[in-house]
Amino acid sequence: MSYALTTLWHERQRYLTAILAVSFCALLGCVQFGLLLGLFAITSMPVDNSRADIWLGAPRVMGVDLGRPIRESQALARLARHPDIERVEVFLQGFSYWARKDGGQELCMVVGSRLEPDAMGRNTALDKRPELVERLTEPGTVVIDESDKEKLGVQNEGDIAEVVGAKVRVVGFVTGARGLAAPFIFCSVTTARPLLRCYPNQITYALGKVRKGVEPDDVVARLRKEYPATPKPSTNASTGSSLLSSGAVEMMVNEDLDELSIFTSAEFSRRTRMHWLTKTKGGFALGYAAVLGLMVGAVVTSQTLYSATASSIREYAVLKAMGIPRWRTSLHVMTLAGWVGVIGILIAIPAIYGLSEVAAIWGVQMRLETWLLVTVAVVTLLMAVGAGLFALRSLRGVEPALLLR
Amino acid sequence: MIQEGPKYSESNWGSDPILQGLDLSRAFGDGATVTRAVDQVSLEVHRGQFVLMMGPSGSGKSTLLAILSGLLTPDEGRVVCMGEDIWSLNDKEREQFRLDHCGFIFQGYNLFPALTARQQLEIVARWGQGATAAEARDLADSMLQNLRMLDRAHLRPAQLSGGEKQRVAIGRALIKAPDLLFADEPTSALDWSHGEEVVKLLRSLSKDYGTTVVCVTHDHRLVPFADRMIDLEDGRLKRQSYGFHGACDNLASPLHEPGEIQPIMPTKPTLRYRATS
Repeated sequence: MSYALTTLWHERQRYLTAILAVSFCALLGCVQFGLLLGLFAITSMPVDNSRADIWLGAPRVMGVDLGRPIRESQALARLARHPDIERVEVFLQGFSYWARKDGGQELCMVVGSRLEPDAMGRNTALDKRPELVERLTEPGTVVIDESDKEKLGVQNEGDIAEVVGAKVRVVGFVTGARGLAAPFIFCSVTTARPLLRCYPNQITYALGKVRKGVEPDDVVARLRKEYPATPKPSTNASTGSSLLSSGAVEMMVNEDLDELSIFTSAEFSRRTRMHWLTKTKGGFALGYAAVLGLMVGAVVTSQTLYSATASSIREYAVLKAMGIPRWRTSLHVMTLAGWVGVIGILIAIPAIYGLSEVAAIWGVQMRLETWLLVTVAVVTLLMAVGAGLFALRSLRGVEPALLLR
Repeated sequence: MIQEGPKYSESNWGSDPILQGLDLSRAFGDGATVTRAVDQVSLEVHRGQFVLMMGPSGSGKSTLLAILSGLLTPDEGRVVCMGEDIWSLNDKEREQFRLDHCGFIFQGYNLFPALTARQQLEIVARWGQGATAAEARDLADSMLQNLRMLDRAHLRPAQLSGGEKQRVAIGRALIKAPDLLFADEPTSALDWSHGEEVVKLLRSLSKDYGTTVVCVTHDHRLVPFADRMIDLEDGRLKRQSYGFHGACDNLASPLHEPGEIQPIMPTKPTLRYRATS
């Protein structure tokens, strides 16, 4: 065992504070960003809960919930022409307004997809309820999430409501499909069009399924090469919404089709989440809190290492007297700091997953993606090493002559 | 029996001095509060001598030891050690000089509380001389064996007696086979039975291996073991005395079994590791 580890183990009471501070930093970072990612994962849920490999949408679309109408025939044709795409399908999604029975209006997210068993766009939340899928085939019917009933003023199956003037009937409820800012309204493509004020030849996305053994990334790369996007200013590119007047819709539809955006499902899901993460500043708010946590952890770790090093100053002084270079004792302190970081992170990992499970019991999703865990671990470790660097100032006081009385 | 020695330059050892202090002075404080801890002291120490520096508290013996060992800058004077004027070297060179040639023992043991006796020795070999883990362990075990401490190698300072701790501290100082060993009150924290053990160890070190030992003490019981005594008073050299070493040669070492004729340090560690800086 290294001298640093031996020291940590033997003086664990002393170093426990620093180790727990590091654990807290890692925990705070992972939980905060995990919750945020979990929250924003709701926005990409239509993509994540689909079976599509490829999404083709409006030019420079920033996320699945910010799609704009495109021409159905041209979009489908573009995908269908590709030899490695075996199936294409239409998909509609956009914001709309739900009129509650009490007269109030609620922003909602209409999701219109094909309903066949092998449909790519049909949300997997409907998979467990085939009877609801059956009912949705009737035009003007919708399904909402159980937890959104109150928000939408719906009490029972069969309740009638209005979406931008069109009557809809709620034919059932699903679970695990709660919306973030706006409740999801699941329906068929036929039902969705009037709710999104789309013309019959308009859709929001064309979905594609690639042949077995073909990588969606390769297909997307080839399609991008075939239809390169030429940057040009767009007034509605990043703020687009389906809540547009017919004139505006017509204008959008006339956009150059070569500009259409194409993504793999994974890309589109990430793009959607990152858009929300960055544009809403929510990521920065939590990031700020996480940085504060890191600073507290750094101070505690640094002070613990400083006092531990200072308490052994006479031992270090003996080594210095014997000519052991200062860099070598400094390296020992840095190794201690590194181990404090590593052990702190190792302790944090089960705690993070434990909290994630607890959050899941309360219906809160914490997305602990590998990149997040790795990033937090690296940042926390750097913090611990930085704290070690700061603690090195205690070695400045090492003066062998002090040992001679 | 006590002989008055010359101020310096003469000795009964015949060879060139390994350590020379020339007109050394060192003061502390400013203005009216200035204290001259060492005042115009000159001395010579020869290879293999066991030299005691004695004097009452405040006589400047520890300050002189610090100056001679390259730990404290003198205000005036020079220290020539093994032909090097050590205070003309820069800090890094002086650090390397101490690494190559000097060992230190202090009154308070100053052992890392978390490390075992073996590890206390290993870190000097590993950090100071770049020994591998296996080399350092072998060297530490060999040294502990010589110190009759191998069976205590796995124990931490809190589990060792004062004498054992000082022996570990001595082992730590000796593991790099120094030419000079500087000891500051090495027995003052020990009862006499342990103190005698330590001083005999230091004595045998100089006798058997030619390691020069310069030891600061106020304990007169150490006098019979010394080759030479330097007496300081108010920072000045009061007298130098020679010829005590014969007095202890007939004493049985407590580290040896009766009739055992082996030296205390049968295998002086001479392995020079690759330089680390």
